[in-house]
Amino acid sequence: MIGDLFARMRHGDRNALSRLLSHIARGEFVDDIRSLLIPSPQAPSARVIAFTGSGGVGKSTLIGRLIPLVRAANRKIAVLACDPQSPLSGGALLGDRFRMGSTSDDGVFIRSLAALSGSSGLAKHLDLMIDALEAFGFDVIFLETVGAGQGDVAVGHHADALVLLLQPESGDDVQWEKAGVLECADVIVIHKADLPTADQTMAQVRAAIDLSPSHHIPILRVSTKLNQGHAELWQALESLPARRLRPSIARRLFQHLIESQECHLRELEAEANAELNKLLADWQAGTLSTVDAARRLSALFSRSLLASADVALRDGLAPGSRSPKASG
Amino acid sequence: MSQPQRVVLAKVGLDGHDRGIKVVARALRDAGMHVIYAGLWQTPEAVVRTVADEDADWLGLSLLSGAHMTLVPRVLELMKEAHLQHVGVIVGGIIPEADVPKLLEMGVAKTFGPGTSLDEILAFLQKPRERTP
Ligand SMILES: Nc1nc2c(ncn2[C@@H]2O[C@H](COP(=O)(O)OP(=O)(O)OP(=O)(O)O)[C@@H](O)[C@H]2O)c(=O)[nH]1
Ligand SMILES: [Mg+2]
Repeated sequence: MIGDLFARMRHGDRNALSRLLSHIARGEFVDDIRSLLIPSPQAPSARVIAFTGSGGVGKSTLIGRLIPLVRAANRKIAVLACDPQSPLSGGALLGDRFRMGSTSDDGVFIRSLAALSGSSGLAKHLDLMIDALEAFGFDVIFLETVGAGQGDVAVGHHADALVLLLQPESGDDVQWEKAGVLECADVIVIHKADLPTADQTMAQVRAAIDLSPSHHIPILRVSTKLNQGHAELWQALESLPARRLRPSIARRLFQHLIESQECHLRELEAEANAELNKLLADWQAGTLSTVDAARRLSALFSRSLLASADVALRDGLAPGSRSPKASG
Repeated sequence: MSQPQRVVLAKVGLDGHDRGIKVVARALRDAGMHVIYAGLWQTPEAVVRTVADEDADWLGLSLLSGAHMTLVPRVLELMKEAHLQHVGVIVGGIIPEADVPKLLEMGVAKTFGPGTSLDEILAFLQKPRERTP
């Protein structure tokens, strides 16, 4: 069932993508979906940008203004917007979308997500949702956090860039500095720059940044009310290097390797493989060192991998042809 | 544990009163649902897109403007085009008695007039519904 849904998504069925995201959000079929989403090295790489900042700082409104700029650059955009979920009732009032403005443009996808309080200000399994949106063909993915504070550093792991929004007269800059988010941000936006004390806030933030020995983080003034600064912000975001993809592709491939070998181990155990048993007995008896035992296990794995590839070839299945990519 | 229902609430048409819909939104949240508030002055196209992208179980439309006999059928038609027939549609607002059976005939699951209690709406939405894969 999940395989069908996945294939439909791969063929451009938007409702299938939407349903897939629901499954991921509820933690259903997560392992299956993860293995279906194994990245190919040529996968088109979306640019993922996270927006964080205190409640009411204007994250949703700002994202709503950036969407047309992204579309004007001929890029398809998806937004994952997190709002808090009540720990008591489990209910949630998801209002970000309303602030982003409504559209029926096919190149724009907005999904509202409930994030449990006390978590990182993000919904669960966000990485998988990002992969699914990327597989569907979105070029740019925006994440809006709940703006919980400390945990927001975590969003940086999912994103190519982290944008921190601060507003004048809120004392936000001090709070976020304490939480260690200030120096993790790739871009800092002084939002609501139409408010009278924006200059002062800007100076304070600059001073705080200059104290830290890290890099020079761009600080931009944006007013959504006056419609100022959005083009500059988008330009700054576009010119940032893609930090997420290179290490993460390697890590995901590695993850796949581990998972497939775990499967193998289970099979070898189940069939009481003679070579495996011998190896384990020798290791236990101390006649085989741990390093040598691990080497022999690894050799055993690659031999059985090769054997199954031979079977696949004989059956007319080229290696990898069973991956969802190639069937699409 | 059952998964929270996802409900999109939207106002179509020209009137600018959103107090009622906000009260309903809050009540549904407190009952454990996930409420996506889509806002005022929505076009039928934008509403249906929201329902699709949010993978909603329910769409709650609110209308006071008297345009329900044009706007509701339009939304239902677009939902069918978008293969969203599995989503239940409820309509709230001022709807003349005579129009109610017509709306139900078109595929609206239920209408709620101005005097409806929140409990009534909740009870209706909490009846179990099948989700298609
Ligand atoms: N003065 C001023 N107000 C703004 C500006 N941008 C947004 N606002 C107002 O700020 C309020 C909050 O905006 P949102 O976009 O909902 O803020 P948010 O950060 O997404 O809020 P949460 O999702 O609840 O954390 C709204 O009332 C906006 O109208 C701006 O540039 N200047
Ligand atoms: Mg918001």
